[in-house]
Amino acid sequence: MNRRYITRRVLYGIPLILGVTFVSFLLMVYFGPDKTYELLGKNPTTEQISEVRRALGYDRAFLLRYGDYLRELVTLDLGLSDSSGEPVSVILKRTLPVSIALVLPGFILGNLMGLALGLLAAWYRGKWLDKLVMSASVVGMSVSFLVIIIGLQILLCTPYGLNLFPVRGWQVHDLGSYLYYVTVPTLALVLVTLGYNTRFYRAVMVEEIERDHIRTAQAYGASPRELLFRHVLKNSLIPVLTRIMFSVPFVVISGSLLLESYFGIPGIGLVTFNAITSGDQPILKAVVGLTGVLFVLALTVNDMLYSLVDPRVAKP
Amino acid sequence: MSTPALAVHDLSVRFKTGADSRHAVDGISFSIDAGEATALVGESGCGKTITALAILGLLPDSGVHVESSAIEINGRDISGLTGSRRREVLGRDIAMIFQNPGTALDPVFTLGRQISAVYARHCGGGKEHIRQKVIESLEAVGFSQPQDIAAAYPHQLSGGMRQLAMIAMATVCKPAVIIADEPTTSLDNSTRAVILQQLERLRTLHQTAILLVSHDLATVRQSCQKVMVMYCGRLLEKTDCESLFSHARHPYSAGLLSCIPQISDTRPAMINSIPGQVPAAGEFPPGCHFAPRCPRVESMCNQSVPALDTDKQQAVACFRPL
Ligand SMILES: Nc1ncnc2c1ncn2[C@@H]1O[C@H](COP(=O)(O)OP(=O)(O)OP(=O)(O)O)[C@@H](O)[C@H]1O
Ligand code: SF4
Ligand SMILES: [Mg+2]
Repeated sequence: MNRRYITRRVLYGIPLILGVTFVSFLLMVYFGPDKTYELLGKNPTTEQISEVRRALGYDRAFLLRYGDYLRELVTLDLGLSDSSGEPVSVILKRTLPVSIALVLPGFILGNLMGLALGLLAAWYRGKWLDKLVMSASVVGMSVSFLVIIIGLQILLCTPYGLNLFPVRGWQVHDLGSYLYYVTVPTLALVLVTLGYNTRFYRAVMVEEIERDHIRTAQAYGASPRELLFRHVLKNSLIPVLTRIMFSVPFVVISGSLLLESYFGIPGIGLVTFNAITSGDQPILKAVVGLTGVLFVLALTVNDMLYSLVDPRVAKP
Repeated sequence: MSTPALAVHDLSVRFKTGADSRHAVDGISFSIDAGEATALVGESGCGKTITALAILGLLPDSGVHVESSAIEINGRDISGLTGSRRREVLGRDIAMIFQNPGTALDPVFTLGRQISAVYARHCGGGKEHIRQKVIESLEAVGFSQPQDIAAAYPHQLSGGMRQLAMIAMATVCKPAVIIADEPTTSLDNSTRAVILQQLERLRTLHQTAILLVSHDLATVRQSCQKVMVMYCGRLLEKTDCESLFSHARHPYSAGLLSCIPQISDTRPAMINSIPGQVPAAGEFPPGCHFAPRCPRVESMCNQSVPALDTDKQQAVACFRPL
């Protein structure tokens, strides 16, 4: 990978970031909730209204307001939360690591297991093992995440089941307590995503296994292990990496939203959930804007990984 | 008589489709001596590729039924081999060159890496020795800068160069037999000549037996000593090239010969030139499979399937040969 390629990728990222932040600006700020009347109470005068609007910056020109929003995102000076009065950046700094620690193990496990099962099913495609794995995936996909989460909680966290883990909370201070709190959410995340992952990876692997060069390798005596772990895996890295990179923002936001609200864990998901219900605009616009930026980052890193993996992409 | 490099005895391939099964290859036998090139010709779909894959044991193990009395390489029967014992043979004793060099090589590994994997697997040796062998094999197919080719990825080469690299891969372990399945069909005329020339040179150099699957009778005439004409999974005529081109005995062979195009294009339009169509596998007529299209057909042709009269020098499967 050469420096020019990296620079070009990063430069491509800039208009994309402008695009996603512009959209989130339009939705969350420009056409977003208007706080004027909340602050003024009943029967305000016209002067009061325009005064408050000026104080809030609502009267500034469209592009200037977009510029303000961008500056907030870049400097991470995101204002104060409406509900707690705490600076948004402090809230993010506190909750984001919790969310990442919460979803990371499940994310990694879910993808690794999906890859392994997908590879297995693809290799034995059409045979009973494939059919077993695929029907299990369909079952997994059709069971609601609610059933999975509540089922796991009952089985593992209550006296009705094994009662080994907490139902709620996150008092993490060392590895032991981390495992204590993270195990059940991790299992839940793996179970919710495994069916989708397995099906996706199987489709990718089947396509790779059926390519001509696999038959060539076979015709020259390559063992199944070589075929799968050298030729198939390396060729499938692009779709696999793409899926992983693109699901990072999705899992961080919606995975934590889901898990944190059911397990009462104080991460970014719970903060977002509460901000949605209470209409806490500074938090929402920060989350939406940063999610967009995260997507573009994932895309850019993904493109860079391409050129590492695939010799056909952008060699000088 | 010496042992042939490749001897195929009574090879049949059946595809299971639902309850019934149909023959794609139906009891063919042939042998090729060391240093000899034999062509397998016939219209599209007659079973040439299936024959090649069956010899190597590369057909999928479900839905396909392969049977043979024996498939011998230098007298050693490989037909029963499975697993690692089969893999030992592939690439070392018998190698295959595929039709489409664009897709037959792995795009994410350099050619050097792919060829050295074959050599390391079968012949072993130190890193430097293997590298040397790879360079030699690339040199042997005519590359003047073999190091550059070894370091290149397939997409960086032209189709003809990829096919040459494929030949280098096929010859790196100096196998007794090489099967080339339409190795030049996807290439232009001048590249085709280069490929055939290199194949021919390596054949005489290493005394390799070559089975050349081809549509192109002009190519066959140029580069093969023997020829086998295949139709609906059976051999209809088996003889040396000169006899076939001077006097084809089977009406089907004669039909094929009559439609060699003047300006040879990539795929001669054989199907249009012999009236009628190749019957689909499973819908073969009860008698001679060629009967519906044969100008010499008589009532006895529809009674039973004519066998190849292998006792003759120019063997033919026909009741009324020319
Ligand atoms: N998986 C399969 N199931 C059923 N029939 C098959 C299958 N694969 C191939 N066949 C049949 O086997 C026959 C022989 O196919 P083959 O690929 O050997 O033809 P070919 O002579 O190599 O033709 P071409 O010149 O087009 O390469 C075809 O008629 C095809 O219908
Ligand atoms: S056996 Fe009869 S139908 Fe078949 S090729 Fe010979 S003459 Fe024609
Ligand atoms: Mg073919």
